[in-house]
Amino acid sequence: MASPLTLPLSLRVPLIVAGLMVLMGIIASQLVMTSLVRSQERQLADLARSEFAALSTTLAPLIQRQDIWEIFDVLDRATERGGGFASIRASLVDGRGQVLVSTRPDRHPIGSGGMDLIDASVPVDALSYDSAQEVISLREVVSYQGRPIAQLVIDFDASTLVAERRRTWFWLIVGNAAATGILALAGYLLIRRVLAPIGRLSREMSEAGATSRAFPDSSIPRRDPELANLYRTYNAMIRAVEDRSMTERRLAERERFVSLGRLAGTLAHEINNPLGGLLNSVDTIRRYPDRKDAVLKSADILDRGLKQMRDVARSTLSLHRNDQSAIPLTAADFEDLHLLIRPEVERKAQELHWDVEASDPCCGDLPSGPVRQIVLNLLLNASGASEPCAALGLKVRAGDETMHLTVWDSGPGLPLHLRPRLLSDAPVEPGGGLGLRLVRDLVRSMNGDVSLSQTEEGRNAIAVSLPMKHTPEIEDA
Amino acid sequence: MSRRHELKRRAVLASLTAGLALTGTAWGDQESPLRLGLTPVFLDNEWQVLETLRRHCIELTGRDLEFVQRRTYKEVVALLLIGELDAAWLCGYPLLQHPDRLEALAIPVWQGQPRYQAYIIAGDDRSVQSIDDLRGDIHAYSDPDSNSGHLVTVAELLAMGERPESFFGTTFFTFGHRNVVRAVSRRLAGSGSVDGYVYDALSVAEPNLVSRTRILWRSDWHGFPPFVIPTERRHSTASAALSQALFGMASTEAGRDALRQLQLDGFQPPRPDSFDSIAALMNRVADRG
Repeated sequence: MASPLTLPLSLRVPLIVAGLMVLMGIIASQLVMTSLVRSQERQLADLARSEFAALSTTLAPLIQRQDIWEIFDVLDRATERGGGFASIRASLVDGRGQVLVSTRPDRHPIGSGGMDLIDASVPVDALSYDSAQEVISLREVVSYQGRPIAQLVIDFDASTLVAERRRTWFWLIVGNAAATGILALAGYLLIRRVLAPIGRLSREMSEAGATSRAFPDSSIPRRDPELANLYRTYNAMIRAVEDRSMTERRLAERERFVSLGRLAGTLAHEINNPLGGLLNSVDTIRRYPDRKDAVLKSADILDRGLKQMRDVARSTLSLHRNDQSAIPLTAADFEDLHLLIRPEVERKAQELHWDVEASDPCCGDLPSGPVRQIVLNLLLNASGASEPCAALGLKVRAGDETMHLTVWDSGPGLPLHLRPRLLSDAPVEPGGGLGLRLVRDLVRSMNGDVSLSQTEEGRNAIAVSLPMKHTPEIEDA
Repeated sequence: MSRRHELKRRAVLASLTAGLALTGTAWGDQESPLRLGLTPVFLDNEWQVLETLRRHCIELTGRDLEFVQRRTYKEVVALLLIGELDAAWLCGYPLLQHPDRLEALAIPVWQGQPRYQAYIIAGDDRSVQSIDDLRGDIHAYSDPDSNSGHLVTVAELLAMGERPESFFGTTFFTFGHRNVVRAVSRRLAGSGSVDGYVYDALSVAEPNLVSRTRILWRSDWHGFPPFVIPTERRHSTASAALSQALFGMASTEAGRDALRQLQLDGFQPPRPDSFDSIAALMNRVADRG
């Protein structure tokens, strides 16, 4: 499960805005409720003081006369008035802590202990409105001519105020939730709109390497200088990448010719070698036209020499043709490669081991051109990197789904500074050719894999695995 | 009867009293209203009855009737004695306290007889069976000068060999028989002394109030609370008019309506022995010293 921090910016920012709105709603609600509670407390205190003042004035002379019935009658009528924050129970406790009169005589009969009533109440001046209480018990001392004569305890019904507060809470929550929801949604949409160009840029960049393209000038948000600058920078970057890619393609093309160039001398020698024999055979035919055996022998020599020259020319042409990517790889391609590399190896007096187990159809849908280019580059690289008289070789194994190509030599292996060219997509450092990077690009284009390995004899090798059933889009190399 | 009605009644009485004070009065003034003193002991909740009585008086005698209400018997008796009232509806006890200054003009007839009982009532949820079970109780009296609401109970306790001032744990006066019933019904008092006529009348008029009480003890029969006049006004036109009104209750529709509301049968002249039983109770208390 993704962490909220990993959410996309276009979702994370609106969510943060919505969260802040909710937080503000909660704080605002709390402030309103605190204010309401304080207001209700003041209202209750005023009402309670008024009630106590009126009753104390009336009751004081009655208490002084011990007129129980009149006291009861006054309290009884006062507690039956009803209305908001009405007094619902009242009791008088004398100086000895005994109940003088209570409107709940069944609970607090005359003469019973009244300290529990005192303990359960708070002075009217210390009124604290607890939200959980629907009945508030308050008390005040009743004085007559300056002398305290009793304590009046009144239970007030605060249920209407509690209900009002609950209603206020409810509507605050509903109102704030609605307002917060609307504002959060508006904030979400607004931020999404503001961040839309960033999102578009992000999507384009996430497709890098595939179909990334520069934004047309018409789609650059000109109202926002920062975004416009960002878009232009992106376009410049895309164009730089395209230029680099183009340059690499050109270099790769050149590399192919370089490979051919390296072969050219050897090939000329390969062609020149039989030429002496061929010319001698022509001379023999001219000199001894009547000697049938000499003519036939010379004709055989001419035939073999011309076929050898034909094969060399055909192999060179095959390597140079651009349309070979669509031609399937066959065992003859490996014979051509052997023909092409052998003169170079022999020129350096090196030992070539050719271990190809392939017979047609050998290689599924693998294209001929790229595979030939891969093998030729790796073999030329191995020959070039090896000392004279060294050994090098090619091992080809075609499985059911994968073709394994291994080019090895008896040298010290691929130098460290060249390995990124073959094993990563890191930019190619200046200097050196692009043969290894071309090998990597061709292998990747066929969804294959290239790695360094060792043969069973412990020689350094480069192993290439190519899936044979899949035919990806292949660029001309 | 609702509390609203009671408040209205008090407002009417207050206005009547205020009107009396502003206009001034004079003895023998044929046109001046008759002034009748009342206490909440009897008519604490029946202002409609007073209005009906007034209409009857006007219709029968041509004289208006004003009601002057005070909280206690003592206040009403004082007004009667100083001549501020033409008559008052008191009970036999205060009448007998002033035998040379006051006399009975008429005695109501209730359930065919000019007499009534005093009740001692208790909460209906209590298991007490006799007065003796009320020892240490919170007891509500009506008025210190009320026969049924005080004297009868005190005399009965004396007859039981008890000390009335210490038999109950706490006592207080409510100055109204209805208040006694209310105090017991609300459990402010565990028991109370009440006029049997008022209690029975309340059981019809306010059954919800009475239903939470029950009668624990009934006294002997005593003379019904009479209408009392100052002795020196025995032959005044006011007394004559009041006698005409009381003894002629059945002659007007308003009078019959008033009797029905008061649940009385009518009025009759007092007999010499009408209040002897109350006098006996007074003697018992006086003998105790």
